[in-house]
Amino acid sequence: MKRAEIISQLNEIFEDIIDEGSVSLSETSTSNDVDGWDSLAHIQLIVAIEKTFNIKFSSDEILSWNNVGEMIDCILKK
Amino acid sequence: MEFQLNEMFKHQFTVTLDIYNHFQMCSNDRNPLHTDEEFARAKGFPEKVMYGNILNAFVSYFIGECLPTKNVIIHSQEIAFKNPVFMNEKLDFEAHVSGVFEAVNAIEFKYKFIKPDGKIAAKGLIQIGLLK
Repeated sequence: MKRAEIISQLNEIFEDIIDEGSVSLSETSTSNDVDGWDSLAHIQLIVAIEKTFNIKFSSDEILSWNNVGEMIDCILKK
Repeated sequence: MEFQLNEMFKHQFTVTLDIYNHFQMCSNDRNPLHTDEEFARAKGFPEKVMYGNILNAFVSYFIGECLPTKNVIIHSQEIAFKNPVFMNEKLDFEAHVSGVFEAVNAIEFKYKFIKPDGKIAAKGLIQIGLLK
């Protein structure tokens, strides 16, 4: 799967979970850049991403991400 | 993690008169489908229909009181009503762990309420967080 496809799916997941309109993630996006990406939304996002891509993250992996690009790196390694 | 994938939990619930009255007082919903036998019969039901959201309260009890840990918080709860429930029907509640999300300490359950005739009264999905 290409990065562009992943980011497209992530946009859909974020829009569904955060529910604050259109989301346009980039590789450098962080929680500061997305309205509604708070700690509870983060849990829901991780759950939705794991289910969508049929993968499992560890807590260490999640804590290591500095931006969406690093999240995508992690998804691609699964 | 305290929960295993596919682990099953069962409980039995009954919508008693006392529960019905308390829910009516709490919700202030006096729609005639729930309060007027004649209205309910005119709409094709054998008697007044119990409030579906009483089942949501049962789900709350299940999460808060029936799990092996009290360190829980409900993140989300979905319910789909499939068949009406009537006063004093015994409902078999079954929930199984359908997702374990260790990275964020979250557990997902799929659940259903089964009527005495075997029909599904309601089913849905619950996501909880495990408090540290």
